[in-house]
Amino acid sequence: MQKKQIYPFTAIVGQEKMKLALILNIITPGLSGVLIRGEKGTAKSTAVRALAEILPVIKIIGDSSFQLDPENEYTNYQEICRMLGQTPHVRENLTVREQKVQVVELPVGATEDRVIGTLDLEHALKKGEKRVEPGLLAQAHRGILYVDEVNLLDDHVVDILLDAAAMGVNNIEREGISFSHPARFTLVGTMNPEEGELRPQLLDRFGLCVNIKGIPSIEDRVAIMEQRIAFDENPEKFCAKWQEKSAELVAKIMRAREIYNQIEIDQKLLYEIASSCLEVGVDGHRGDIVILKTAKSLAAYHGRTKVESADISEAIELALPHRIRRQPLMEIPDSIAGLREKSQTA
Amino acid sequence: MTNSIYPLAAIVGQEELKLSLILNGINPAIAGVLIRGEKGTAKSTAVRALTELLPELEVVSGCRFSCNPERHDELCFECLASEQDPSRTSRRARLINLPLNATEDRVAGGINFSSTIKNGKTILQTGLLADAHRAILYIDEVNLLDDHIVDLILDTAASGRNVIEREGISISHPARFILIGTMNPEEGELRPQLLDRFGLCLEVKGSDDLDERVSLLTRREEFDLNPVEFCRKFVDESQRIRRQILQGRQQLSKIRFPPYMRIFISELCNENNVAGHRADLIMEQAAMALAAFEGDNEVRTDHIRRVAPMVLIHRQRDAQPPPSPEPPQNQQNEEDSEQEKSEDRPDKPDEPESSEEPAGEQEKSGTEPPETPENREQQKGEGQEGQTPEPKEQGQDDSPRNSEEQVFEIGASFKVKKISTAKDRVTRRGSGRRSRSRVSQKQGRYSRASRNGVQGDIALDATIRAAAPHQMGRSGDLAVQLTSDDFRFKIREKRIGNLLLFLVDASGSMGSRGRMAASKGAVMSLLLDAYQKRDKVSMITFRRNEAEVNLPITNSVELAGKLLAQMPVGGRTPLSAGLIKGYEQMRNFLIREPTGRPIVIILTDGKGNVSLGDDKPVDEMLKLATSMAGETRAKYIVVDTEEDGLVTFDLARKLAGALDAEYFKIKDIQAEELVTIVREKQ
Repeated sequence: MQKKQIYPFTAIVGQEKMKLALILNIITPGLSGVLIRGEKGTAKSTAVRALAEILPVIKIIGDSSFQLDPENEYTNYQEICRMLGQTPHVRENLTVREQKVQVVELPVGATEDRVIGTLDLEHALKKGEKRVEPGLLAQAHRGILYVDEVNLLDDHVVDILLDAAAMGVNNIEREGISFSHPARFTLVGTMNPEEGELRPQLLDRFGLCVNIKGIPSIEDRVAIMEQRIAFDENPEKFCAKWQEKSAELVAKIMRAREIYNQIEIDQKLLYEIASSCLEVGVDGHRGDIVILKTAKSLAAYHGRTKVESADISEAIELALPHRIRRQPLMEIPDSIAGLREKSQTA
Repeated sequence: MTNSIYPLAAIVGQEELKLSLILNGINPAIAGVLIRGEKGTAKSTAVRALTELLPELEVVSGCRFSCNPERHDELCFECLASEQDPSRTSRRARLINLPLNATEDRVAGGINFSSTIKNGKTILQTGLLADAHRAILYIDEVNLLDDHIVDLILDTAASGRNVIEREGISISHPARFILIGTMNPEEGELRPQLLDRFGLCLEVKGSDDLDERVSLLTRREEFDLNPVEFCRKFVDESQRIRRQILQGRQQLSKIRFPPYMRIFISELCNENNVAGHRADLIMEQAAMALAAFEGDNEVRTDHIRRVAPMVLIHRQRDAQPPPSPEPPQNQQNEEDSEQEKSEDRPDKPDEPESSEEPAGEQEKSGTEPPETPENREQQKGEGQEGQTPEPKEQGQDDSPRNSEEQVFEIGASFKVKKISTAKDRVTRRGSGRRSRSRVSQKQGRYSRASRNGVQGDIALDATIRAAAPHQMGRSGDLAVQLTSDDFRFKIREKRIGNLLLFLVDASGSMGSRGRMAASKGAVMSLLLDAYQKRDKVSMITFRRNEAEVNLPITNSVELAGKLLAQMPVGGRTPLSAGLIKGYEQMRNFLIREPTGRPIVIILTDGKGNVSLGDDKPVDEMLKLATSMAGETRAKYIVVDTEEDGLVTFDLARKLAGALDAEYFKIKDIQAEELVTIVREKQ
C-alpha cells in the first residue's frame, strides 16, 4: 500500500517525551490520545506518521468497512447490515482479516460529510437504493485519528469529534439518514499554541499532553540534520538500517500490551494519584483515571508488573498539564512539578 | 465490550445527581434535569446508566410513536385510525440521543424520500422527537445546540406534541419526554427559555475527598479491564434501585399532598424571587417523587426542602442569577489567583458602573496584587459622579503625570450585550455563533431551495416538486422519475463568527480615575464573549504618537487576554493614527475575505490630541471617521470611556456619529438581567 518510505520512528532524535506518549497510547488505547503542542519543525507530524510502522496488527471483520472486531462487535455488525439493508453473514462464515492499526488523517479543512460519512442522495433518488460512504470516523475505529493543527479545526467538526469520543459511537441523524456505528479511536493532535488554544472540552478528551520545543543541544541538532540528509538521499537504505531497532520496539510494545492486565498497583500509590490531582486542582476525575492508566502502561513498557512511584510522577507530567483548572484565557503550564514547587513556596 | 454500561449503582459519590435522575425516573412530570458541571464528573455516564434502571413500559404494539394504550386521549393519529382495539406489548425504556449535528428533519420528522419516490405517495419518516415519546431525550453539550433545533424542542416540550408542518406533511403526534441535558458552562450559557424547560438543575463537580477519589479510580479501572465481571458485582444493588423506582411509580398516585404544603412551596418560590409558576408545579411533583422513592405516603416539609435547591437554582431571578456559575473572573497574573478568590464578586452585579470609579486610586499600579479593601472603597465611592476634575483643555491631558507608563489591572468583567452584524444575502463559510449569514456548507437551518445552492446538499422536497410536472412523459421502475435537471439544492442559514477588531485608547487620559481598569474589564468581557462565539480577534492600541497592532488577526483569544493584561498606558492620544491603523487592518482583512464582516470596537474618550496632518486633532478624527463610514461591510461600535460629570466633551459620541456607529457607555454594553430592566422601568 505504502510505496513512499516513511521516516522511521526509532530514528527520530530526542523528543523522548513525545515518543513515549505515543508509545503509551499504542500500549493502552484507553488513554484516548495525546495532544502535542509545540513550535514548527519539531518532528511532530513526522513522529505521528512514523507510528504506522510500529503499530500492532488487529483482526477485523472483512465484510464491512467499519473496522469491527470479530469477537466483541458482532452485534454491531448485524446492526450496521440491518441499517444498510444488507443481510449479515452468520458468525461462522465471517471473513476475518488481519491488518495493522491504521493512522487516519483528518485534514483541517475536512467537511462534516467526510468526517461522519454520507449517504449518496443523488443515487438514492435516481435508483431508489441506499448507498452509504463511511467517513473518517469509521475508518479510525480502533485506530488512530490524527489531526494536524487541531486548533484550527472547524468548530462543527470539533463538536462531532466530541460527540463521538464521548460515546465511542458515531451517531448520524442528518437529512433523512439515521445511522450509527462504533467509533472508538485514539485521538492524536498536533498544534502550535501561537495560533490559538483548544476548547476546554476537546482538550480534556486528549488523555495526554506534551509540550515540545526545538532541541538546544548542538550535537543533537547536527545529528538531526545528518539523519535527515541520509534519509532524503536514500530512504530505502536508511529505513533498512533502522529496521532492527523498529522490530525491537514493536516487540516491546506487544509484550507491554500483553502484560497490561496483570499490572498491580499499591493502594498507597492510588492515594498519591488522588492527592496530586487535588493539590494542583483539576476538573473532574478524568485526570485521576488517565494517570493510573498511564502509570500502568509505563510499568508494562518497562516490563514490570508493579507500578512504582516514579511511574506516577512521570504519568502526572504527561496527564495533567492540560487539565489544571485555569482562569479563563490562561496558558497551559509546561511542567507540573514546577507548578507544584511554585505553589509550595508561595 | 461496547455494550456494557457502567452501572449507576457503581458511581462513587454524586448523590444529588443520582437522586435527581431517579426522581425523574419515578415521576416523568418533573420534566427532566440539566446537569451542569466540569468535565469528567460522570455526567454522561450517569445518564446512560439510568435507562438500565427504568421499568419496562406498555406500548401499543407496532406503533411508531410508542403510544400509551391506557391513554386514549393521547393516541397518535395512526392508532386512532386503526379500527381494532390496540394490542399491547411492553418494551424496555429508551434513551434517545440527540447528536449536535442533527438536522431539523431528523429531529422533528419529515418525508421518507426513498419510499416516497418508489411508491409515489407521501410517506412520513418519524424523527427523534417521536422516538423520544415516553423516553429520555438526552442532549450532551446542550449549550452548543443550534438555535433552530432548540426551538423545535422548546415547542414540543411546551405542548407535549410535535407538530410537523413541512415538506408537504401536516401531522402532529404526542411527544412527552424526559429532557436530560449535560453542559459545561465554560462554553457558553443556555437560553433562559430552554433553561426553564428543565425541571431540575444541578451542579456537579469532582470530589475532593481522597478516599472517594481512590475508590472511584479503582472502580473505573476495574470496569475498563473487565466490564462484564464488574457489572455482575453490582447486579444486586442495581436490582434494588430498579425495584425502588418501580414501587415509587406505583406509589406515586397514592401520595397525599397536604394543602398547607402548597403554601409552603409558594412561599419558598416567592422568597427566592422565581419567575413564573413552573417552579411551584415542579417542586410539588419532585417532592411527591421523593416521598414515593422513600416509601412515605405523605409529603413532608423535609422532602420539599431537599428538592427545593434543584428546582430553584436555575429559576431564581434575583440580582444575581445563580445558574451562571462562575462569572468570568478578573484575569490577573497567575500568582494573584489566590488572593483573587477573596475579592471575587459576591456583590458584583449591582455595580455595573464599575466604570465610574472615584479618584484616588489611579496612581496605583496594577502590577501590585489587587487589594480587597481598595476595591471595596471604589465601590463605596460610587455615586460621587459630580466631582469631576476641572474640565481640561484638550492637550492638557499631557501632564507629566500622565506621560508616565503604567500597567493597570483588568477591571471586573461581565456578560456583554448581543453584538452582531445584520443579515445580508452573501453566502459565507465558517463556524461560530455570532451573526446570521447564509452559509455554503451543509449546516444550519434550511431556509429555501434553489438550483444554485450548495452542490450535493439536495433539497428533497423541492426536487420532487420540480420533477412532478414531468412525470407523465418519463418512464422507469420508480414512481417518481428524477433527472439531473430536477435537482434543487438547499440554501442554509446559520450564525458564524466575525472579526472583532479592538481599537483601544491607551493614552494617559485613560489612566485616570480607574478608567483603564474598567476599559480593560470591558475589553476582557468582549474577549470572553468572542471566545464563546468563536470570533477572530485583533487588537490595536494607540498612545503617545502612534498606533500599534498589538495582536494581528488570530483565533487565539487567550493571546489577546494576555496582551491586554500587560498593556501599558501613558502619553498623548493619537486617535487619528489609531483610526487609520484600524482601517488598514480591516482593509487587509477584507481583501483576503471579501465577504467578511468585521466589527470594529473603539474604546476611547474621544479626546484625540495628536494629529497627523495640519488639521486640528478632533477635526481630523471626524473627517477620517466619516470616510471610514463609507466601508459598509464593517460595523463600528464606539465605547465611550469618558465619565459622566458636570462638564463632558462628548467627543466619543461625535466620533460615533461620524462613523455611523453604535454608541455605548461602558456600563451600557453589559447585558441587563430581566430584573434590572423591570426595576428601571418602575
